[in-house]
Amino acid sequence: MLPYLLLSPLVVFIGALSFVPTADTAVEAFFRVMPLDPPTRFVGLGNFRALFANTSITTSWVNTVVYVAVGVTASVVLGTVIAVALRQRFRLRGVVLALVILPWALPAVVEAVIWDWIYNPTFGVMNSALHSGHLIGGYHVWLGLERWLTIVLIEIVQVWQMTPLSALVILAALQSIPTDLYEAARVDGAGPAASFRRISLPLIRPALAVCAVEALVLSLNIFDQVYILNGIAPLGSSVMLQTYVTTFENLNFGGGYALSLLMTLATAVLSMGALALLYRRAEGV
Amino acid sequence: MAAEEAGGQTAPVARAVTRVASGPAARALSRRPARLAGRIITIAVILLWSLFPIYWALNTSLTTLSGADTAPAHYFPSPLVSASYRSVLGIGGSGYGISGELGRSLLNSVVESGAAMVVTVVIAIFAAYAFARMQFRFKRTIFVSVLATLLLPAYATLIPLYRIMASLGLVNTYLAVILVYVSGFLPLAIWILYNYFNTIPRELEEAAFVDGASPMRALLRVVIPVAKPGIAAAAIIAFLLGWAQFLFPLILTTDLSTQPVTVIVAALNEQRIVPFTLLMACGVIAAAVPGVLALVLNRYIVQGITAGSIK
Repeated sequence: MLPYLLLSPLVVFIGALSFVPTADTAVEAFFRVMPLDPPTRFVGLGNFRALFANTSITTSWVNTVVYVAVGVTASVVLGTVIAVALRQRFRLRGVVLALVILPWALPAVVEAVIWDWIYNPTFGVMNSALHSGHLIGGYHVWLGLERWLTIVLIEIVQVWQMTPLSALVILAALQSIPTDLYEAARVDGAGPAASFRRISLPLIRPALAVCAVEALVLSLNIFDQVYILNGIAPLGSSVMLQTYVTTFENLNFGGGYALSLLMTLATAVLSMGALALLYRRAEGV
Repeated sequence: MAAEEAGGQTAPVARAVTRVASGPAARALSRRPARLAGRIITIAVILLWSLFPIYWALNTSLTTLSGADTAPAHYFPSPLVSASYRSVLGIGGSGYGISGELGRSLLNSVVESGAAMVVTVVIAIFAAYAFARMQFRFKRTIFVSVLATLLLPAYATLIPLYRIMASLGLVNTYLAVILVYVSGFLPLAIWILYNYFNTIPRELEEAAFVDGASPMRALLRVVIPVAKPGIAAAAIIAFLLGWAQFLFPLILTTDLSTQPVTVIVAALNEQRIVPFTLLMACGVIAAAVPGVLALVLNRYIVQGITAGSIK
């Protein structure tokens, strides 16, 4: 009896506030739900057809694919670079690690507001620095004009926040590799690049898989940074932002449910797929 | 002939010099400073990337509007003033009425993330202990389903949670925000604590059982004191996650009585009339709580994150 007693608060919470809502989303996606314009009725795939016909929403799908591609690649590559750089012990390494983690710990909204000021077209430091480095001829409006540039610049803000987590996870994996493996490789004449490729990379693959999946879920869900840096304009909009707008601004709950269901399934399929693929490869090595 | 003679004489010396210069010892000598410089530069670049935006917010918040709105930008606050902080904290100066909003929303953030942290950790300790130490039916099923919700995106629950809270009349209450946070943070807290409990030798509890202690007593008197670092890790991570929330409070709170600081900072940003000096001061204050916690309790965070991600 005792184990069930210990688990009961957990089961109630997860059941009532995770499983029931998920099931509700899966069902209501097939209903017309308009709180200000009842009644609610079954519409089959009607909500989904409406999504595919709405260009703001289809735009946000393509945008989100770019957010994910940039986010996963950049955070895993940068995380690996930081982990490799911080792998060897040196004085003040603990301090450097603590400082590197900071962007992960701060609220994404606050970070986005800061980056909005950095990207500012008239007084932003990015314009100022690039201009004084003669990399740009004049000050630019960075956000909201060019679609892919806007998306990449917004994703950089998310990468800035996600990378410390990847760096820590990869660093832990690197540190669990026995040093005599590297010794042996050096005796065999392998340089740092070769021993990274032949020893480190295969052994940190599971950690890279974990980081990739975490970045995937976070970037599929990107909202805060887009809300601050892009607003609700379709140009740089993400699916999460469109879900928010459809549901809570247009008050079309059925449409929001349908969009949510599609994204939940996409998240599940993509993250399971990525984990399976990367773990299998890791075992094969 | 003489030249040839000379050449013949110097050649071996030159060859020897070359051999020394390119030998392993010389290579190490010439590379060590180069490699050291390379590493220092790499670490400097990493620190610049990690800290520059934070520095930039500080820089802007510590100067005047005319010091911040300049092109080219001032890389150090000139003039250096604390006026922005004084006005957003309501210690004089025109603050666009920000001080009231900022103060109240900070209080809301403390209440919401603090309560969510406590409830999450208490529930997670009991659950993780059952998963780590006890055998019972459906254990694996329950464990896997709880951890599976780690991969559940906000999409899956966003609209239903709003409607549940609306139907219970809980929209714009602390309770709604706290309940939603707890349900979201529990899986990660359980994963961290489950891994931590598994590192504690069972002999410790068995000694207590021999003395006639019940499992609950063993948990409270033996396991929890030993597991303090793991509990601290779960608690601090839950608090940081709570402090950073934006989307859920955006839909679950409607006025200043419950809106956390993230919602208020976003609203101030959206107004487009608040000067960047004041906006950055608000941002720095909103980021200071998690920032200081992350620096001071760094050890627990690193341990919690790595325990929660690997295995």
